[in-house]
Amino acid sequence: MIDNGLLVQMLLGALLGLSVYLPLAAGQLSLATPAFYAVGGTLAALLSTRWSALGATASGGFPVPSLLLELVLGGLLAGLLALLVGRLVLRLQGIYLAIATIALVEIVRVAILNLPFTGGAVGIFAIPQPFATAAGYLLPALALLALAGWLCQRLEGMPLGRAMAAIRDDELAARCMGIDTTRVKLTAFVLSAVLAGSTGALAAHFLNTWNARQGSFDASITTLAFVILGGSRTWLGPVVGGLLLTALPELLRPVGDVRLVLFGLVILLGPVLAPQGLITPGLLERLGRWGERRGGSPAEEVKP
Amino acid sequence: MIEALLQLLLNGAASGGVYALVALGYTLVFSVLGVINFAQGALFSVGGYLTFLLMGGKIGVNGALPGWGLPSGLPFWLALLLAAAGSGLIGLLVEQVAFAPLRRRNAEPLLALITSLGAGVVLVNLLQLLMGAEGYAFPQSTDALAGLPDVLVIGGARIRTIQLLLLLISAAAVLVLSLWLERSKGGRALRAVAEDATTAQLLGIPSAAMVRLAFFLSGALAGLGGGLIGVSVSLPGPYFGISYGLKGLAVLVLGGLGSVPGAIAGGLLMGLAEALVPSAASGWRDALAFAILFAVLLLRPSGLLGRRTVEKV
Repeated sequence: MIDNGLLVQMLLGALLGLSVYLPLAAGQLSLATPAFYAVGGTLAALLSTRWSALGATASGGFPVPSLLLELVLGGLLAGLLALLVGRLVLRLQGIYLAIATIALVEIVRVAILNLPFTGGAVGIFAIPQPFATAAGYLLPALALLALAGWLCQRLEGMPLGRAMAAIRDDELAARCMGIDTTRVKLTAFVLSAVLAGSTGALAAHFLNTWNARQGSFDASITTLAFVILGGSRTWLGPVVGGLLLTALPELLRPVGDVRLVLFGLVILLGPVLAPQGLITPGLLERLGRWGERRGGSPAEEVKP
Repeated sequence: MIEALLQLLLNGAASGGVYALVALGYTLVFSVLGVINFAQGALFSVGGYLTFLLMGGKIGVNGALPGWGLPSGLPFWLALLLAAAGSGLIGLLVEQVAFAPLRRRNAEPLLALITSLGAGVVLVNLLQLLMGAEGYAFPQSTDALAGLPDVLVIGGARIRTIQLLLLLISAAAVLVLSLWLERSKGGRALRAVAEDATTAQLLGIPSAAMVRLAFFLSGALAGLGGGLIGVSVSLPGPYFGISYGLKGLAVLVLGGLGSVPGAIAGGLLMGLAEALVPSAASGWRDALAFAILFAVLLLRPSGLLGRRTVEKV
């Protein structure tokens, strides 16, 4: 039921979940992740199909180092956009920020749909493949997720991470303590964009076709649902949420057309039944203690 | 030249009127609960399909009950009114399922964004199950509009009657609602709950009933918009309301969250701005609303007519 292709999609979902989580960890409800994902993916699709120096072969192959270069470039471009936009929108609070970021997603979507070089509604197709099968994408996706997870784990102990947590708890108090809140929020926003941009670059190759539908308002809410249902207090929450919610519509395929109704019900009832999400700091602590009692290392027990 | 401009302005005002309806729906709920009901776009779709069915439309081949429909269609006015009421009732249901449980638990308001969107996803996909993904066109006959001619000639400009009706009906709905909110006892009670629910409760206003009323009215406004757009253009599929829901959101912020005159002015402004986009650049039209929204948020975060709020410490 879960094949390699779905596994790759799940990992990509987990990465997008982390991208939404990062600004949220600094108390900023940004729904801009699909915009940055779309920017990264479009860049990768354009570079690999138009720029022969990257080494796309006539049979549709693509060198792995060029893929890595695209991941970096996709992340950089998305990060640059976030730097420009973030300076403006991060002055907004709460629901205003959420709506401004939805606006960004829509503007990017319409731009990709209408720009003369992005292929219109059909998009860019026959994107060259660095790997012959879906299984090949598992490794880069897993590596990217491991890198992002490691970064989020490291953040918790770093001044930046503590400043983010302080802003999340009380922005005014954080500012009074001398935290440069603008800078911290912007850093979290840019990190989130870089992650989404790189994820988009990988996804463009994996999906083979890339068009404006990849980054839409629906995706804004689905990726937010990853975080809310998985749990927004630890970085493991969005990872678990992204993995599960990406798999769900596919796993529900046997029930036919009702599956999207059921998917909606999960999003509707999840926050009511588990307001903290599936993975909470309390749960991790209990798992950790349970692990210690059994003599195992606590870190191993909490891995998803 | 003048005729073309008149036509342009009327088209803009007509779609602006619908945007204002949707934005007012958001405004009602936002002013009472301080949250955004993301199911609004889905309720817009529901209104469109209900109007279609009530006017005697038949379910297509991909629906759950192919060929099924009412034995005879209702007149346009009655269908529109009943569809709006039906969407209002479904809006009430959304409140019961997506908002009430969170309120009882004093949960984070952020969660309501997710639950209401979940409710929207459920509604849209139920529509898709029932009606299929295909588009539907309303019967374009004279009796569909209660005997009015299809096209009116005003000052040399040829205007589709439905566009004019669209403008008049949304203007009437907006006017009645604003007057009701401003003048009537019920409207005052609703505004009192919006100001401070606890105090209103202490003064003997049934807060919970007022919240339900806000959701009913908000759903009815969205349904009305959906029905009007359906009759005037067509129903391109169950998702068609979502984009109107998003535009309404842009209008909401443009006018200022929670401001009734702001929602109306914002809607008209947005409709007119879109109508002025030259047809060569029509693909970019959908981005215009959000570009304006973006600019307004940055220049004046409280919206055009919104109140500036001072954060209490």
